[in-house]
Amino acid sequence: MPTIDTGDTAWVLVSAALVMLMTPGLALFYGGLVRRKNVLSTIMHSFFILGLVSVTWVLWGYSLAFGPDTGAGLIGGLDWIGLEGVTGAPSDTYATTVPHLAFMAFQMMFAIITPALITGAFAERKRFKAFVLFAVAWSTLVYAPIAHWVWSPDGWLFGLGVLDFAGGTVVHLSSGVAALVAALFIGRRTGLVEPATEPHDVPMTVLGAGLLWFGWFGFNAGSALGANGLAATAFVTTNTAAATAAITWVTISWLHRGSPSVVGAAIGAVAGLVAITPAAGFVSPAAAVLIGAGVASVCYAASQLRLRSRIDDALDVFAVHGVGGAFGAVATGVFATLAVNPAGRDGLLAGEPAQMLLQAAGVAATAAYSAAATAAILFLVNLVIPIRVPDDQEEAGLDLAQHGEIAYQP
Amino acid sequence: MVIAALLVFIALLVAWIIAPSTDRRRAEALSDAAGAALLPRAA
Repeated sequence: MPTIDTGDTAWVLVSAALVMLMTPGLALFYGGLVRRKNVLSTIMHSFFILGLVSVTWVLWGYSLAFGPDTGAGLIGGLDWIGLEGVTGAPSDTYATTVPHLAFMAFQMMFAIITPALITGAFAERKRFKAFVLFAVAWSTLVYAPIAHWVWSPDGWLFGLGVLDFAGGTVVHLSSGVAALVAALFIGRRTGLVEPATEPHDVPMTVLGAGLLWFGWFGFNAGSALGANGLAATAFVTTNTAAATAAITWVTISWLHRGSPSVVGAAIGAVAGLVAITPAAGFVSPAAAVLIGAGVASVCYAASQLRLRSRIDDALDVFAVHGVGGAFGAVATGVFATLAVNPAGRDGLLAGEPAQMLLQAAGVAATAAYSAAATAAILFLVNLVIPIRVPDDQEEAGLDLAQHGEIAYQP
Repeated sequence: MVIAALLVFIALLVAWIIAPSTDRRRAEALSDAAGAALLPRAA
């Protein structure tokens, strides 16, 4: 019979609050990167999702993601709809030393931030109504199944042995790929100044990145689901990868563009946090340095390639979360070791090359499903409500045209 | 209770779909207050 551990419970609840703070942090991170006429609409995407997915998660999302399997390892059933049977007593399956409601709340915060990440791709041109429908459908039809595949003991990727400590595939890869599809579907912004639109408020972006970094300790160390040594490991690897990626990105951009970019430091830190997410509880701090340096290099290259393409993923969600999530997932298969986490698996460097192939298979499956399902959702939503605003609204800015408000008084 | 909660959400969803677009006159007034004709005027 599972019993509640007060220390574990306190840590999971605090971690849930830390992860919650990441979504407003993301709003500021994205808000600073767009033009001043679109800052409110960009912030609103994240803030509205905080309310929207909180409700859908309670009503059906948690049951679909973590509820008893329907039979094929693809999705949970409706046994826990409206949190029926999810109480203050521990679950028999998940985090057995904390109240089931605490585990549910912790997972809720992941479900909230994931669709919010996508919003950076269609910033500055998406109709708010269409965004709301898209967010409901995507969190239900894409996030919940993938979370079930990877984190439910009955999920098919879990059964194969794919490792994802805190959501490299479930959160970052799925949203990054969805962002790429959304950017392709909605098309380029009109009147863009090449090669890129300058951020309107860099301090806002850096503040957002700082809040994301802070909240990520809950995201990763909280995923130990206990106040223990594994949480400490994840905490240290998380900070180490973020730090290494930040200084590596700055160094690369300094050499490439001639100046140490402040925005680059912020984006680099986020890339490091993304890549360490699947690995945080399976790798050593030294491996986190290598992961941080590697992901900064790969994501920087991806962002440069994106700039040269015609794809207007406005805030580089795919380059950072899609590429960074895939990189981190595969790197987990390289650096994972049972010496760090006896409940994990050995990776390539510990003599198990098959784990890296498993991780790659997990990446491929997640990316393929997210791409196909996102495209279908966008197509259907567009039939009901046109996803893109008219050109005159885009020119005026979505703050005025969609929300009837302005961010900065004259 | 769960069915009632689901009905509340469905009602919200319907409201989002049928809700009016942003009032154009208010947007134009804000545009003027911002010191620039940001929003193109309707013909």
